[in-house]
This record gives sequence, structure tokens and C-alpha cells, in this order.
Amino acid sequence: MLKFHSVSKRYDDGTQALSEVHLDIPQGQFCVLLGSSGAGKSTLLYMVNGLVTPTTGQVEIGGKALNRANMKSIRRTVGMVHQQFNLTPRLSVAMNVLSGALPFVSYLRAAAMWYPRVLRERACKLLAEVGLSPEHLTRRVSELSGGQMQRVGIARAFMLEPQVLLADEPVASLDPRVSRDIMVLLRDEAKRRGTTVVCSLHQPELAVEFADRIIALKGGKLIFDGTPEQLVAAGLDSIYQNNESKPAPSHSVPHVTPQMLEALA
Amino acid sequence: MKPLSPPLPKDWQLTPPWTAKHLLIGIALLALLALTGSRLEMPRMITEIGEAIGYSVGLTEKSPVATGLARIGHSIFPIQIAEVTEISRIENFDRNHLPLFARIEIQETKTAHLNTDTLQMETGVEKKAVLVEPLGYLKIVLVKMVETLEIALWATVLSILLSIPLAYYAASNYSPNKLTYFLSRSSISLLRSVPELITALFLVLAFGFGPIAGVLALALHAAGFLGKFYAEDIENADRKPQQSLEAIGAGKLKTLWYGVLPQVMPQYVAYNLYILDRNVRMATVIGLVGAGGIGQELKGRFDMFHFGHVGTILVVIFITVLLLDQFSARTRKKLL
Repeated sequence: MLKFHSVSKRYDDGTQALSEVHLDIPQGQFCVLLGSSGAGKSTLLYMVNGLVTPTTGQVEIGGKALNRANMKSIRRTVGMVHQQFNLTPRLSVAMNVLSGALPFVSYLRAAAMWYPRVLRERACKLLAEVGLSPEHLTRRVSELSGGQMQRVGIARAFMLEPQVLLADEPVASLDPRVSRDIMVLLRDEAKRRGTTVVCSLHQPELAVEFADRIIALKGGKLIFDGTPEQLVAAGLDSIYQNNESKPAPSHSVPHVTPQMLEALA
Repeated sequence: MKPLSPPLPKDWQLTPPWTAKHLLIGIALLALLALTGSRLEMPRMITEIGEAIGYSVGLTEKSPVATGLARIGHSIFPIQIAEVTEISRIENFDRNHLPLFARIEIQETKTAHLNTDTLQMETGVEKKAVLVEPLGYLKIVLVKMVETLEIALWATVLSILLSIPLAYYAASNYSPNKLTYFLSRSSISLLRSVPELITALFLVLAFGFGPIAGVLALALHAAGFLGKFYAEDIENADRKPQQSLEAIGAGKLKTLWYGVLPQVMPQYVAYNLYILDRNVRMATVIGLVGAGGIGQELKGRFDMFHFGHVGTILVVIFITVLLLDQFSARTRKKLL
């Protein structure tokens, strides 16, 4: 479904963000990227929808190699959830969700903010699924809480009915309890539709709980690729070692059990 | 105060936030002001204002400024609200159907004329029937004021329409290429750099006297202003919503509409209201060069030394601007 053929990225300022990464992610897999800040997680994510072009190597989605010519059509199949939600603050919840389907709407309809019935219904259904109520529809996004904003963000991402969903640290600005709810929502929505998810995270405990597969990066290199069980067995120290931005709870994480998380929540 | 013991190391020292350089710059600026002030007769301004104040409280015996101002005040007040027209000059005058509140009066004017037989100046009293409309002139001024408001409104609408494409091409993150960016930026600067009054002067030559020249002159200048500010707001808008729309391939125009416009809307409303306000005030001025509106009437009356009429016009302008302030403050509150 989603393949990275030995992709590397060197930014103009000389930073080597990724080097020679090989990955093959099958349809419907929930993949979590771990790694400290600057490990190359975001660069890898942004390569999927062409926000970052690889210096060498190739990204392939559904058998099609991503290039300049098919960039627009490929972007329509890739949804995205952001760390800062990236919603338009003064626009209503409904409009923010609908804007997720903008590539499919004519300029006239987009300008008049009047979407086809199918899309309107899809937006309402998604908002109900992510746990918002009808009175939220006309509210401005800026009036929502962080967790609710991310729910809107997820609904917007699924408006495209994407094959691949990219989540760039979707819970980094939320508190632990809300983070867990959002991860549950993200996983359930993706599993229901068979969407492939690539999600970068800073919380190994969430990765262990939700991922089908964990991929760890360090200094732009792939250092771990396996199931959560394998990661717990291997220990996390290898991922975060010798790094200033090592997350505080990481040392205890290999021993975290779902029971302990329940107790936390 | 006791010195610290042990004393702090030498590198821990606080200095004042200014240095000798700042003082020098301050002195240089003062010197520059003194120089330009003497070239602009600023000392004379201060002494004459002092004299005028002294005269008004009875300290100074004479002050040309105070007497001048008093003369202007006397000629403006009472302001002229009524309209007096000689009946003989009204076409198809019908004594039985007078306008509302109007009455006919006989006015006596002293005239002097040369007696051709005696070659002496003789004074006589001439009697004329005049039509007096008590609120007639006020009505004329109000009609002119409405025309002025219409000019301002149309100028504002046109300037908004003009500035939207200008702003799109002048926003560095939306302009398709450097050439369009450069062209629109320079046309914005050009529009802004020519004062309305000058544009109106030329446009009156092209379109003749009347509101067309006024509307265009105001619209062109305001389009430059709005284009610059719209573009800068587009550039400074939060990138995050735009990135998320670009990431799904929404296209530039749709991204602008959904990711930028809602963010910048409050500022845009504020700019537009400011432009409307400014256009109303400028529309009163550009009439001076014949571009329609109340200014044309003002200039005419001023040139004929009808200061009572000028007074009426000034009062109407003042009240209009006052009402407009209230209106824009309320609209802003409601829309934001």
C-alpha cells in the first residue's frame, strides 16, 4: 500500500533528516513512528503527501510512485491530522469539517460555502462519530476545547475518505486522558474503514497500546521496526538514548501495562 | 547601605539602558528641530498664539490673530439656513402654490446709481419681492451631503473590488511569480502615492465636473491603501490552517477562502470601515476641485464670501462625521 524505497532527505541547511529508509506498510495497518525530536518522523510523514520531496529515493502509494504530475490526485487520497489541529479558528465546526472535502468541490460551491448533499451528510455523520453534537455545528472552532478540536480535525481528515491517514503527533498538545480518547477514536475510525495510518507519537506507552506496528527512527535512520511486544522486549532505551529531549516517563514505559494506564485515567 | 560581602565578581554589573550614543542622537534631533523650526517661523507662531490668548483674557491690547478669528466667527454665525430667492428670477412662479413653509417677503435694498443728468451718485431704495424658504438652504446642503455620502460609498465599493485582485497578487505567498508580485506591489505604491486631490484634478479634466471624477479619485487611492493592507494580512495570517488545506490539494484560491479569509476578516472589516470614514471626509474635500459633492458647494460659497452658508455646510459635515463614527463603531462591534 505505502512504500518507501530507500528515501533520504537532506534539507538546504545541510541537515540530514532521513537516510536510506526502506518501509513497506500494508493496507489497514496502524503504524506508529517513534523517535525523539529531530529524528525524522515529520519528514517521513510529509513525504507521503509531497509536502517534503525526498532528495533520493521514492515514495509509492497504492502502486503509484509520487511525482510532480500526480501530486494533486495523490494528495486527495491522503488525509492529515495535525499536532496543532490546524483548523481555521473563526470558521464554524461544520465549515472546517467540510473544508476537508475542498478538492472535490467546484470553485462556485466552495465560494458560496454550500456543499453537495452527499458531503454535507458525510460531514454530519463524521461529526456524530467523533462524538460531537448538533449544537457544535455552527460553533466557532476557537470556542472548543483542545480535545474537541482534534475530534474536528479527525472528522475533517476523513472527509476525503482517504486511503492513507497521516497523523503528525496528534496528541502532543493534549492532556493524557484526552490523548488516550483521541487515540481510541483515531484507531477505531481507521479500522472501520480499513485506512492505513501512519502516526508519529512522543508517548511510547500510547504507541505500545495502539499500534499494530512500531517504527523507530534515530538521526534519520530506521532503528526499530516491529510489533509493540517486540519493542517492549527490546526496551526503549535504544530509541531515546543519548538525547536531551528524552521524554520523562520513557524509562518506566517498557513496564507499563494497560492496567496501569486504566488506573491513570 | 552595606557593601555586599563577599563582593560580586566584576562581570556582574548593571549599566543604564542608554549610552552616550543615545544622548548624542537626542541632542542632534533637538538641534534639527530648532533649525527647521526657525525656517518655518515657529517662534512667530508661538508669540502670536500667546498674544491671542492674552487678548482673549484681556492681558494684551491687540492681537491680529484674535481679531481675525473673531471676524470669521462673526461672519459665519448665525449660520445661514434659509434660502432667499428673488421671485422675478424664478421661472413659472405660482403665487398660489408656494413650497412648504415658504413665504413671500418684500425686501428693501439700498442701491447706488449714477444719475446721467447731474453726474451725481444717487442712492435709492429698491423693493423686491423674495421667496423665503426657512429651511431651504439646509435642504440644499443635505441633498449635497447625501451626494457626498453616495460618492464615498461607491468609491469604497470600487476600491474593495479593485484591491482584492491587487492584494492576491501582492501577497508574496500567493502571487504566482515574482513579476506579478512586483507589478502589483508597484501599482499599489503608485496608487497610494498620488493624493486624491491631485487625481481628482486630473480626472475632472477627463470626465468633467461632477461625481464621476470624485468617485474614481477616491477609489483609486483607497484601492492602493486596501491592497497593501489586505496583502500584508494575507502574508501574516497563521500558516497552520493553510498548510492543512494545501496538504490535501485544495488549491490556492480555496485555501485562501477557507484558510486565510476567516482569519483576516475582522481586520478587513476594520479597514473597510476606516476607508468608508476616510472617503466621506475626503469626498467633502475633493469637491473643492469640482469633483462633485458638498465640497463644490462649499468652494462656491467661500469664493462668494457667503460665510453664513459656509457655516451651515461645516455644521452639516461635522454632524455627518460624528454620526458616521457612531455607525462604524457599532458595525465593528456587531461584526467582530
